[in-house]
Amino acid sequence: MKSLTLDHASFWYPATESPALRDVSLEVAPGEVVALVGALGAGASTLLLVAGDLAPRMTGGRLEGTAARRDRSGIVLPTPWTQVSGMAFTVWDEVAFGPANLGWPAHEISRQVDRALERLELVPLASRDPATLSGGELQRVIIAAILAMDPGLVLFDEPAAELDAEGACTLWRLIRVLAKEGKGILLATSALDALPEVADRVVWLEQGAVRAVGTPDLLAEAAACEAGLGTSVATVWRDSELPEPAPLTIIDAVRRWR
Amino acid sequence: MIPALRLEGVSFSYGTVPVLANVSFSIASGERVALLGRNGAGKSTLVRLIAGLQRPDQGTVWVGDWDTRDCVPEQLAWRVATVFQHADQQLFATSVRDDVSFGPRALGVGEREVQRRTDSALQDVDLTAHADQHPYDLPPGLRKLAALAGALALEPALLVLDEPIIGLDRALRARVTRALLERSAASVALLVITHDLTFAAETFDRGLVLDRGTLACDERLVSLLGDATRLEPLGLVPPPMAALSTALGLPGRPVREAEVARELARVARGRLAP
Amino acid sequence: MTGLRLHPFTLLAIAGALPALAWILPAPVGGAWTAAVALALTLTPGASPGNTGIGSSPDRRPGFVVFRTAVLTATPFWLFLLLLHDVPTTIAIGLRITTMVASFVWLVAALEPPRLVEAMIAAGWSASVAYLLAATLSAVPGLKTRAQRIVEAQRCRGLSPRGGIPARLRALRALALPLILSALHEVDERALALETRGLVPGVRRTPLAPPPDPVLERAARWALLLACLAALVRRLIVASPT
Repeated sequence: MKSLTLDHASFWYPATESPALRDVSLEVAPGEVVALVGALGAGASTLLLVAGDLAPRMTGGRLEGTAARRDRSGIVLPTPWTQVSGMAFTVWDEVAFGPANLGWPAHEISRQVDRALERLELVPLASRDPATLSGGELQRVIIAAILAMDPGLVLFDEPAAELDAEGACTLWRLIRVLAKEGKGILLATSALDALPEVADRVVWLEQGAVRAVGTPDLLAEAAACEAGLGTSVATVWRDSELPEPAPLTIIDAVRRWR
Repeated sequence: MIPALRLEGVSFSYGTVPVLANVSFSIASGERVALLGRNGAGKSTLVRLIAGLQRPDQGTVWVGDWDTRDCVPEQLAWRVATVFQHADQQLFATSVRDDVSFGPRALGVGEREVQRRTDSALQDVDLTAHADQHPYDLPPGLRKLAALAGALALEPALLVLDEPIIGLDRALRARVTRALLERSAASVALLVITHDLTFAAETFDRGLVLDRGTLACDERLVSLLGDATRLEPLGLVPPPMAALSTALGLPGRPVREAEVARELARVARGRLAP
Repeated sequence: MTGLRLHPFTLLAIAGALPALAWILPAPVGGAWTAAVALALTLTPGASPGNTGIGSSPDRRPGFVVFRTAVLTATPFWLFLLLLHDVPTTIAIGLRITTMVASFVWLVAALEPPRLVEAMIAAGWSASVAYLLAATLSAVPGLKTRAQRIVEAQRCRGLSPRGGIPARLRALRALALPLILSALHEVDERALALETRGLVPGVRRTPLAPPPDPVLERAARWALLLACLAALVRRLIVASPT
């Protein structure tokens, strides 16, 4: 069974005429990384909220169609400072907050928290007060906190926004590891250049509807480049009016150049 | 000419935690400088020192010919406009226009001048259409632009921004780049913290890299960004255009998209020519 | 008092008993005692535990800051009372209000939300109720940090917090609006965000580190309650004029 199945899902926020999602059908299999790309406001964040059972339950509004999950889902929002509990004086306690809420036994909580901290390279920060962390450090803490709850479906909304280059690299590697462990991953990101390595499939959203679905090769096509959604390499190749097909990555470009 | 900003041997600690050690550099009018470095390297603290919110423990921060030790932040606002991270959470007026005009009005500039500056700033970031909306009705990306407009409206000699493009898509980033390039052409000095090296390459000429509180590099971005061996120990990764330039061996190693496109086309034509 | 950390319920009991006694005991002596105790509490090092965070100066003695906050918050009430009442009444009511203000300010500074949540969970309260109470109490320091950031940003836009009354009123408005607006705006986001952190109704949260509750403290809490009741009974029976 799929980690996530959206079947002809349309969603309206409360008191809005036009839907934020239009007739979206989407599946995420266990072990698969699906990336959502699109302009700001295209509906990626809304789709993640629907996928995570937060819309319409917490946001209000109306959902038509269905959204079914096989396992517990965890979502990392683009604003890590809102997801901080405010109830923890140390990073360790902050990451333990979720598992404790789920009522797990103490030894299991310890195990999950230690593991999550290690994966996000947060062990040196374990006894720091979350209120003193930088935006990037906090984003890693929240990612660890969500992973510590061991969700089967992990939803990421712009997880690398606040991270520096090293942090972002660690994150993309971690996402592949999570997929290998059998988790389903749905990821909304504007870091298009990372997607050839990270994503198995790319879904292009435009004004709440699915415009195209495909492998990351989609990001080298003319339509994507024109919409500002091509990888940097593909975009500059087209700008130079070099022959098709445009290479997706630097390695592809080197091969074509020879 | 007095530089727009000059730091001489600046050191600073939060209590017993050292954050900046012996940082010295200067920025001339019209110069475009990116402040780079890992998370936690001290960039945001440097911004606080320049804004006058903190005094250096050692050394001096000169904004023009003013020593920040002798000034309070509201005085420094005459010369330097600072936009902090998450400035979109600090908007407060009931319309974007009111928020943007807050700065020049607080400086005591005449009403007509306030209007002129506000309109000009809104135009620079293409927000004129949203000027009468409530800031919190705008999506977060446009709120960030509103915060930037507020700083532009101060018409400072030095503009200091902390991560201005996080959460902005390509189109909005291009708007920010354009607004900054226009201001620098009008002799405004720019110092901008960013971890997006593509944005840095497109918008700035010079890079200052902080590494654990010290100034590890101060040089032109063109020479710095293509060199992975130098960037890696600083926690930085060459941006795609620079990496592509290096990988393809493009002459001049351009780092900006338009220049890379030109070189690619030129070299390709050269290959086809008999 | 360093090292002696009272159980959160004890802190709540003290913060509740002092104002209660201030109003029950005959004025002005009763009010004077309780106000003195409340203000003394604000000076203890036990007030304001935890980090002060980046951006604030860590070498200010925290106890004095809390005391000053209490005094500054209570002062406008005294001025107001002086306008309305004669001196004895002003003193009587003023001391009671000072006790309330100082107790609350002390409580907010001394109570650590995580410890309160752990204590309530250990005592059998549901996680949601515990978070609600703790979040309400921690809202104040949260607002203070946010207020500081907003004031800084506005100073950097030319707004001076000094000057005459009109200037200060303008500055206050420029601070109050974004503070309330952004806090309200965040309430929605916070509710959703907390949901993402595993708050499932009906599940009993695992206590991670319930604060120790020595018999002595429990006895002291009961004693405080009984003292308040005794004072109330005495007051009602004796029914002496204020």
